[in-house]
Amino acid sequence: MNPPPDSRSSGRRRLRHLAAFTLIFAAQFLLFEIGLRTWGASEAGPSFQGLFEDDPVAGFRLKPHARVRFRTAETDAVIAINGLGVRDDEEIGPKPPGERRVLILGDSLVLSVQVPVEQTFAELLERQLNAGGIETGHRVINAGVQGYGPVEELLLFRRIAGQVQPDLVIVIVFVGNDAEEALASQAKLAAGPARATLRETFLTRLRRLLRRSMVWQILRMRVGSATGRLTVFREPEPPLQSYAAQPAPRIADGLALARRCVEAIAAEGDRLGARTAIVLMPARFQVDDGDYGRLRDIVRDAGGDLVRDAATHRFEAELSTLGLPQLDLLPALRRALPGPDLFYQSTVHLTPLGHRVVASALADFIRAEGLLAQPGVAMSH
Amino acid sequence: MLFNSLQFLWFFVLVYAAYRAFPHRAQNWLLLGASYYFYAAWDWRFLGLLIASTVVDYSCAVALDRLTSVPRRRLVLVLSLGFNLTLLGFFKYFNFFADNLHVLFGALGWTVDFVTVRVLLPVGISFYTFMTMSYVIDVYRRNLPATRNLLDFAVFVAYFPHLVAGPILRASRLLPQIHSPRHITGDQLRDGAWLIAWGYFLKVYVADNVAPLASSVFDPGSPSTGLDVLLGVYAFAFQIYGDFAGYSNIARGTSKLMGIELVENFRFPYLVRTPQEFWRHWHISLSTWLRDYLYIPLGGSRGSEAQTRRNLLLTMLLGGLWHGAAWTFVLWGAYHGVLLIVYRAALRTRAVSSWLTGPFGARALLAWFVMFHLTCFGWLIFRAPSVPQILDLTARLFVPSGASPELLAPLVLYVAPFLVVHAAEALSDDVLVVPRLRPGVRYTLYASTFYLTMLFGNFAGADFIYFQF
Repeated sequence: MNPPPDSRSSGRRRLRHLAAFTLIFAAQFLLFEIGLRTWGASEAGPSFQGLFEDDPVAGFRLKPHARVRFRTAETDAVIAINGLGVRDDEEIGPKPPGERRVLILGDSLVLSVQVPVEQTFAELLERQLNAGGIETGHRVINAGVQGYGPVEELLLFRRIAGQVQPDLVIVIVFVGNDAEEALASQAKLAAGPARATLRETFLTRLRRLLRRSMVWQILRMRVGSATGRLTVFREPEPPLQSYAAQPAPRIADGLALARRCVEAIAAEGDRLGARTAIVLMPARFQVDDGDYGRLRDIVRDAGGDLVRDAATHRFEAELSTLGLPQLDLLPALRRALPGPDLFYQSTVHLTPLGHRVVASALADFIRAEGLLAQPGVAMSH
Repeated sequence: MLFNSLQFLWFFVLVYAAYRAFPHRAQNWLLLGASYYFYAAWDWRFLGLLIASTVVDYSCAVALDRLTSVPRRRLVLVLSLGFNLTLLGFFKYFNFFADNLHVLFGALGWTVDFVTVRVLLPVGISFYTFMTMSYVIDVYRRNLPATRNLLDFAVFVAYFPHLVAGPILRASRLLPQIHSPRHITGDQLRDGAWLIAWGYFLKVYVADNVAPLASSVFDPGSPSTGLDVLLGVYAFAFQIYGDFAGYSNIARGTSKLMGIELVENFRFPYLVRTPQEFWRHWHISLSTWLRDYLYIPLGGSRGSEAQTRRNLLLTMLLGGLWHGAAWTFVLWGAYHGVLLIVYRAALRTRAVSSWLTGPFGARALLAWFVMFHLTCFGWLIFRAPSVPQILDLTARLFVPSGASPELLAPLVLYVAPFLVVHAAEALSDDVLVVPRLRPGVRYTLYASTFYLTMLFGNFAGADFIYFQF
């Protein structure tokens, strides 16, 4: 039996309304996208995203020869990526005779998009090493990549170590999230290079386009934060598990995996004639009392217990089994207080002063441990 | 549990799902349980006060209904008012009076050892005590029969959409809706959804985004002068409107979804031309309460001009004090009292009267401009942390200086979209005009509200300003 004409016309009217509604929402999506891309300053912005490209093994990497200006309310810096795919305004090239190379692996705290390259601790360290009365020239290579953890750092090391020919590899471990990040990327160690997609469907392309949208990313973040806190049926897990008095079991797994990654870097570096050292980078709240108080309350409200230096101690204990030289940056950063901020307020990254403190601590560490001493040649102080 | 928190979202989704499935009586039990849970989520210890207030005023009203002897009825009324005013006085004003007595005795050179008790203010106490007082007074005046249904009365007092920040509802309006089964219409669903969306927009896009602009001028040590102070005051004017009207809209919207109509609390208060109009458009439920239960019993405008002025001033002083136990609020009330008195005097001059009440034109525009700035100056008094700071800010207001782009640009960005919808509402004299617009325009406004709120809203979960009152 056919529906009566009234119900058919009402159905058509509803359909027209739905079409108009969808069209208007889509048009405004586009308008806001254009607005955000033109005037918005964020890591989700196209200029910043232009720093990255797909990597078949690590998932993504810095795009060779990319150059962007990244501005926020607090920071303004030009980021240049060289042909090797690391942050440097010069190409690395073959190692000249007598040059000593330090390769620094790490995440965004090493990459440091917040400050100009000459203010990064990698660049400051290079200057300090070359001004330290050491006979040979030194080159410090900043191989930090935003979003990397120990697994990606190992994969990056495998890709570039042959070209860099380092004499010293410094693995900067961010104690705040490296255990969790290692575990999240575990699958990348087992998987081979991803197969190139033979044929992209329209939907795949559309999905990719949508994923790159700033509007979409912000909406996803809002919805993610809403659903992430859905606590009706289960107890929420307090945040900052790496610092929890009673951490989730995955933290121990992540610590073990991070240790295996550093061990692999050290072993492969050793085959290339490079020494490896570990540096523990603390989170901002471990240095900033105000930030610590705020986070401690948040964790307490969520039913947890935040132990301020627990993650540092856990990594220290886990990685000490490797027998590699190890430096904890926390004492050096705490010694610099009270004083101007060592970390930016809007991000957890180092300010220029924070970079200077870290560079000095690293230079002292390298000298004290004789990490760049050539066999049979003592380092002069 | 704040309206702008995720906790509230989940709470409301669950309550609403059950509400739609339950029959009428079960709905009322559900509303009572949900409302008590909502209140206890803030601080369960004060739930006892709410229940005590409910039981005492319910009993007093029933007694008033039964009694015929005038002295006995007066006694019951005094008991009820005494109970409510004691609650309010102790929890809201004890610290204020103790601190001021301490200062006064100190100034007189007397040393008095006070027993200092830091009393915590139970959220929403000013709202629900005013509601129960108006109910008992209405029953005393025989304007309203006392309800014999304790459950319905308890829901009237504790109904969660209005519980912590109003509107201040009258029993004559809300109780019949609680007594009778609710039939939720399509219009109520549509209007309710829009009111909630618009309320969130006012709170997280307008109020919470302009709040730091206001703070940058009002915070102690701010070096702002001239136009920057003015912009900071404008920012606060929109912050307090967005915050309070936003809360009222969410309250009305959630209630509409449940088939219960709450009163409109704001009606374009910044578009008025006179102080009298302002109080008919700002926090309408409080101003009508003050009119009906304070100003008119004091004599209203029935006596001499001097008596009317006294009544106006007294009403506004108490209205100011209702907002909080601080001299700045008292001063703000007095300021509005004086504005009303001056306005009454100005009305006697025909030229001024035509400016203030005549048809819309250049003169009316000037009158609006003056009234808007008088209102803003009132907000300066209201927002300033202390009386010396009011004087300091006022002095800095007249130090010539340009406007900082850091203040001007975001203020325009966060206020302009609100003004577009506000203008459409004002032109049609309907705060619910948007859901009634043509589909193309309506959907455009829905989409803009959605994107602006989601993309640029401040989701840090700031408290609503009126919670503290």
